[in-house]
Amino acid sequence: MTEDPKISQRYRELPREEPPRHVDEAILAAARRATGARPAPLVVPVGRRRWYFPLAAAAIIVLAVAVTVQVQKEPDPEAVVPSIAASKVPADEPAVQPAPRAEPPTPPAKREVFTPDPKPAPAQERSAGAAADSRELRAQRDAAQRADLEKAQKDAVGGVRESQQAKAALRARAEAVTGAAANFAAASPEQWLQGIADLRRQGRDDEADRQLAEFRKRYPDYRISGAILEKVEKK
Amino acid sequence: MLAYREGDAGAFETLYKRHRGALFRFVLRSIKQSPSAEELFQEVWIRVIEARSRYSPQARFTTWLYTIAHNLLVDHWRRKGLSLVQLDEEPAVAAPDNPAKQAEARETLARLLHAIEALPAAQREAFLLHEEGGLSVAEIAAVTGAGEEAAKSRLRYAMAKLKAAVDDD
Repeated sequence: MTEDPKISQRYRELPREEPPRHVDEAILAAARRATGARPAPLVVPVGRRRWYFPLAAAAIIVLAVAVTVQVQKEPDPEAVVPSIAASKVPADEPAVQPAPRAEPPTPPAKREVFTPDPKPAPAQERSAGAAADSRELRAQRDAAQRADLEKAQKDAVGGVRESQQAKAALRARAEAVTGAAANFAAASPEQWLQGIADLRRQGRDDEADRQLAEFRKRYPDYRISGAILEKVEKK
Repeated sequence: MLAYREGDAGAFETLYKRHRGALFRFVLRSIKQSPSAEELFQEVWIRVIEARSRYSPQARFTTWLYTIAHNLLVDHWRRKGLSLVQLDEEPAVAAPDNPAKQAEARETLARLLHAIEALPAAQREAFLLHEEGGLSVAEIAAVTGAGEEAAKSRLRYAMAKLKAAVDDD
């Protein structure tokens, strides 16, 4: 006799007490907090062990920050070498070599070698048409630039030839003059004056004047006789 | 409960609304003290919330819920100096001090309530688990940790006493 409808019916007629509202609110709030927070720990810290968890968490955070700062302070050798190599050095200037370091030489850093891919990547395939157009335009531009350069070189060669001829003539003339001067200078004063008189007689007055001025610089105290002076001076 | 375990707070609210009244009456009529009943009722739900990650549907949620309540009641009685053995003993029921009042009480449901309060704790618990929680004998046995025969016996004795009290009117 575990079932008795009469008793159950009478029992249902008893006052139906309910939990107070503040108890309902407290329980539902606790349930919401629990879902908002992390799941309840399997081992609930109690008593003296309660302080272990915040202390352990703080120690882990401090350690992580310290390691991060240390790693950031240390320079990465692989990052330094490519940056030096990558810095632009003008072709007409000697490359500045980095100062030798006191440390022992480090093994050569691994350098990236850029080689063209035999197979274009999917993204490259998509832009293959555009790249072909770009290459064609670049080739046309290069050809035009080469033509301009060749023309400029031809003009320059012609100009150089003309200027070389003019320079040769001038050099020959100068050599003749300097050669004569050298000859005069090597000779005695009388012979030098005789050479100047010859130039004057040949009608090369400019040279004769230059030689005479040179003679007077070289021999300022030389007294030129009247007869000689008439031959060497400009009339 | 599985939905709540996965973080659905609304699922908990549904569960709570479904069981709050019955569980509260179970606790209230078990310990007969309203402040303590409120405190113990709240503690039951806090245990449910804390244990959500360990919940596995091996039995009905109702069985699990009332098992938690039973364990807290046992703790409560222990703190009061009562032992599990005493739970099956007949309490000293004060006799109605006034025959006129007794006659009046027979005509009211308060007599039934008084009879319930007069039941031994284990029998009362079995009765309340059956009436409020809707638990079967096997579930009562599972909740209380007693054998099925013991649970069945407790429920049968409780029903007999209450029937005697109700039949008096």
